[in-house]
Amino acid sequence: MIEKVKFFLSLTGNNLWQFRTRNIFSVTIICLSFLTVGIFMSLSNNLRATARELSSNMTVAFYLDKGMPAAAVDALHREVGKPAFVESVRMVTPEEALEKFRLSFPELADIVTGLKANPFPASIELRVNSKASASGEVVAFVDSMKTRPGVTDVQFNQDWVEKMQGFSRLAGAIGAFMGGILLLTSFFIISNVVKLNVFARKNEIEILRLVGSTNLFIRIPFWLEGIVLGLLGSLLSLGLLFVVINLFPIYLGSSLGALQELLRFRYPDLTQAAGLLLGGAATGFVGSATSVSKFLKV
Amino acid sequence: MIELFHIWKQYQKPFWALNDVSLQIKDSDFYFITGPSGSGKTTLLKTIFRETLPTEGQILINGVNILKIHDSRIYTLRRRMGIVFQDFRLMFHRTVFENVAVPLQVIGVARKEIRRRVFNTLQKVNLHQKMWELPSRLSYGEQQRVAIARAVVNNPEIILADEPTGNLDPELAFEIISLFKDINRQGATVVIGSHDRELIRHFGDNILFLQKGKIVGKEGHP
Repeated sequence: MIEKVKFFLSLTGNNLWQFRTRNIFSVTIICLSFLTVGIFMSLSNNLRATARELSSNMTVAFYLDKGMPAAAVDALHREVGKPAFVESVRMVTPEEALEKFRLSFPELADIVTGLKANPFPASIELRVNSKASASGEVVAFVDSMKTRPGVTDVQFNQDWVEKMQGFSRLAGAIGAFMGGILLLTSFFIISNVVKLNVFARKNEIEILRLVGSTNLFIRIPFWLEGIVLGLLGSLLSLGLLFVVINLFPIYLGSSLGALQELLRFRYPDLTQAAGLLLGGAATGFVGSATSVSKFLKV
Repeated sequence: MIELFHIWKQYQKPFWALNDVSLQIKDSDFYFITGPSGSGKTTLLKTIFRETLPTEGQILINGVNILKIHDSRIYTLRRRMGIVFQDFRLMFHRTVFENVAVPLQVIGVARKEIRRRVFNTLQKVNLHQKMWELPSRLSYGEQQRVAIARAVVNNPEIILADEPTGNLDPELAFEIISLFKDINRQGATVVIGSHDRELIRHFGDNILFLQKGKIVGKEGHP
């Protein structure tokens, strides 16, 4: 058994080397297909993670009318803190808001210094506990507060969470669609490369049959070739994906401005990387097996 | 025992490549099939190892009707045979060693044992020094010897050889047939298709004469 395995491996190695030009071509196509899948996968990973981050850190800011009496502000502060989903409530004074803006945007410090009056209103910041985030109860509460006298505006980051989740799904879908088309292309290319290999080795196959090979014995090296081509292609795509992930921020990062955070790539996790590798091997195997059973009459 | 009953083979109408051939080759026989070019020697050998199916007739090997063996089980028949083809059928991008090792590899013989047996066999056909050469770098006669080594390396029960000495000088041809004779003495049945009268005269115990696909004479066993 071990002898046969060794034999198949060495035969597969020889065959891959013998037809190396066409094999390199098919590995390149597989690699590009899986790279496309990988890029969208890592983009989707980032959007999903951002959405998760936002939803676990969900805050609502109620901006108050400047002329609102202190007693009304206190009453509102108490009322906002009542629901069970509230983790904490904090009063933000106009001075604190100005300071926060100054720290967040240091490049606008000159404008802030030149202001005659503080333009920021006071606000009440509410943090929702992670279990209740994005629940209907929170949304209903926020909507009811919008119409309250003294509340001029409400900022709720749930919209962003939903947008992120939507983008993440969209990136995943585009990746799956484009990847699907490219995988199909890979499948046909492997299938045709193996077909060419079968034709090129017709003489050898004939000899193997005449010296007493079983059909399986003839097929296995072709199957292995497909698997190796698929694995090499997907492995190469993983390597290129890591290069893309590392180089993308350097070359395009700063020019993307605010989109930089959204278009950041995240490394695929272990399961996704294993999935890409297995996908490559499976594409290679199916492509080769289809071709072998169709064109090899054994 | 190889038994052929009323074998007819037609490739193209109206010619018959084999015309009602019946034959019995006993175990450990050394058998020559002879006749002019186109007499049906190759077709007859091909039907015995089932590369070609006869149009009519039955072929039994040790009582088993080989025409009824399913295609996927043909290897069971061929593993018991060593075949030397007229056109050698070598794998030209594999070394001499790899070519000769193939019949052992398909039955899963250990690598060490393969090395030993291939070397010994190549020594017998005087090619051990060219073990790592590609067949394309060998002469015609040397390629033929590689084909012979491949046929005998796994000590088959039956050896079928189609013009195995066609490209060899008389001295080497003599040696090769002597090698077949040695293998035959160890119990293998050897069937050789040849039109080399000198060799047949010297080694032929049993001779079948073919002409236009028909048996026109027999010597030796009835």
